[in-house]
Amino acid sequence: MQPISAEQREKAFAGSKKAEIVERQRLPVRYHVEDFYLEDRPRRFLQAFAAILKHTNYRVALDHYIRISAKCARCSVACQVYGATGDARDVPCYRSELLLSVYRRHFTVSGVLRGRLLGDPGLTDEKVQEMAASFYDCTACRRCHFECPLGVDHALITHLGRYILSEIGIAPRALVVSTREQLIGKSGNTSGIPVPALLDSLEFLSESMKEERGIDILFPIDQEGAEYLFLPAVSDFMMEADTLMGNAAVFRATGDTWTIGTGYYDGINYGLFYSDHVLERVLQKVRAEAGRLKIRKIVIGECGHASRVAKYFYPAFCGGRSALPVMNIMEYTHQAWKEGRLKLKPDAITETVTYHDPCNIARPGWIVQQPRELLKAFCTNFVEMTPNGRNNICCGGGSGTVSIDEIRPYRTAVGGRAKAEQILATGAKYCVAPCANCKKQLRELMEDNHIDCQIVGLHDLLYKALIFD
Amino acid sequence: MESWIQFGRGPLFAVAFSLMLLGVARILVLTMVGVIEAYGRSWDRIVNWKEVRRQTVRWLVPVGRLWRSRPVYSTLSLLFHVGLLLVPLFAAAHVLLWRRSVGFGWKAMPQSSADVLTIITLVAGAGLLLGRAASAAARSISRPQEYFWLLLLLVPFATGFACSHAALSPKSYQRLMLLHVYAADLILALIPFTKIAHCVLTPLSQIVTAVAWKFPPGAGDQIAATLGYADCPGWVPKARLTKAAHAVAPPVAKTATDRLEVKLAKQEVTAQEVTAQ
Repeated sequence: MQPISAEQREKAFAGSKKAEIVERQRLPVRYHVEDFYLEDRPRRFLQAFAAILKHTNYRVALDHYIRISAKCARCSVACQVYGATGDARDVPCYRSELLLSVYRRHFTVSGVLRGRLLGDPGLTDEKVQEMAASFYDCTACRRCHFECPLGVDHALITHLGRYILSEIGIAPRALVVSTREQLIGKSGNTSGIPVPALLDSLEFLSESMKEERGIDILFPIDQEGAEYLFLPAVSDFMMEADTLMGNAAVFRATGDTWTIGTGYYDGINYGLFYSDHVLERVLQKVRAEAGRLKIRKIVIGECGHASRVAKYFYPAFCGGRSALPVMNIMEYTHQAWKEGRLKLKPDAITETVTYHDPCNIARPGWIVQQPRELLKAFCTNFVEMTPNGRNNICCGGGSGTVSIDEIRPYRTAVGGRAKAEQILATGAKYCVAPCANCKKQLRELMEDNHIDCQIVGLHDLLYKALIFD
Repeated sequence: MESWIQFGRGPLFAVAFSLMLLGVARILVLTMVGVIEAYGRSWDRIVNWKEVRRQTVRWLVPVGRLWRSRPVYSTLSLLFHVGLLLVPLFAAAHVLLWRRSVGFGWKAMPQSSADVLTIITLVAGAGLLLGRAASAAARSISRPQEYFWLLLLLVPFATGFACSHAALSPKSYQRLMLLHVYAADLILALIPFTKIAHCVLTPLSQIVTAVAWKFPPGAGDQIAATLGYADCPGWVPKARLTKAAHAVAPPVAKTATDRLEVKLAKQEVTAQEVTAQ
């Protein structure tokens, strides 16, 4: 992939932010940040870093990484951001070194001694600013982790760096406002959808399915003792009607009991993108709702980060091995289809279809084959992107950056450049992207790059192929 | 000069070697204790051991993975490592030294293999140096030690090769041998304290990363209390705009550990103090 031209670069990096805000906040980043306490920023950064090291498990990784990192630059080839900008500051190892050098200087004996001897002033405000910009250029897709011979996980460093920054008040306003609404707001979800609106919208969906398919496909609300609690990304209720209809139709076809709880119905957890504290709080809400409705399993909708959070962090915060089992809806659908409980019309979709692997579910190797097998069961013309599966390329909007509207030019010109080329090369009519974030990013990507490909969810297409007895 | 060489081969080697062994044991133990601590602190004990094992083994024998990125550099690196590990351990002269000093040795490799491996190592090392200097990405992340280490590692190979082949005057032989021995001692002694520690730590990388992603429950609240505010970051931005972190009222303490947190929260906590805890 060729790096972008200087002209494209200028356009992509142009911020919509006013200069006086950058000046006032002393923070030259493209995303908006709420006003925060400015004095003594480096010292407070170190305090937050120290407190986090004290109470969490990051220390073991940082200690390990500063000892082994050999700076071989293999990660640069895996990074779609570096591939697009060609800027040395976007090499994953360079980004990680920003934080690792702070750790080495301030939290290791040799670093402190060397600092004293050489008169190194340590962390400066400029460095905090650089980190604030750099950690949000990375989409934390973890692709570089596969290329590091020494096993350094740069996404873990990005994750930690953002967490520390959030503790001193630096986090994208888009994410903070959403989680504030989710945790202490009236509606209790990131999109601010109140319960009456939710019920209205679900009723409307049921009616349109009745019209289309002639059968009652209901959205069970607050059904105590149901087997599955269904948690899609809350934005799906308003924006992804087709996906939701597909989800409901699958449950109708299998006959399993499921429910959407009015106490809490949001799968989104932006905590993964900027704060472990938020991550835990949101998962506690899931646990409370599952407990209230006496649920046996949690099913997450078509959403990458929501699925990863629930699968890999729900046990961490909500009871370890005894925590409720977590599934992704595609896993559920695939299982039901394998057991012969779903009937699909084999030639329902004849157009070219390709599949985009959301990083959060594909990278661990968790959901890679299931959606492909399903798609091949009802699409006559399925093509793969290269690379795909666990080694896929990020859509460019990963790690919450897709929610930051002010950086759209950057996302569609830099972050998503590799993906756009990939999709264009398949020549597909439909690109299946089973993730709310990927869908939004890919749609903007197609629009800004003038590519004619429709971005859909897996269940949007599956709904058309489903045969009811 | 001969006595200096003897000193380098004998007592100094023993010191350097012990330093290496002890230092390596220290970082290994520290890392493993860190992993166990982290694992114990988390509620989530579900580790994908199969994946950890698979990635660990595949990176220790990375033959199938070289061509995915920076193929030439990666191949050179593999060759370099093979020579680096085999020649010092199995060169006939080295095995003989072991046999003389500690009374036991092992089968040495034939001189011809040692020669070939040494040349491969030297060429690969030079290639790595070029590869680093020529690639913008690699250059941007290279610290001075990246170049220094590569050159230092090549010194014993170049001098060792010269000593066993070139028709040298006794004087220059001794000079080169001195360099050979002291450079090797320096390398051994520095292993545990520099990036060369990866020679023993790499097998632990995957498990370290796996447990680092295990977030301990309640950590967020504890961190907030330590820093002196009661809730999630970014909740009450106005309050945090006007008040210093320590001026915000701390939460009510319930347990002994909580009380410690609150005590910490009430005062100005400096980074050093917190780490000292």
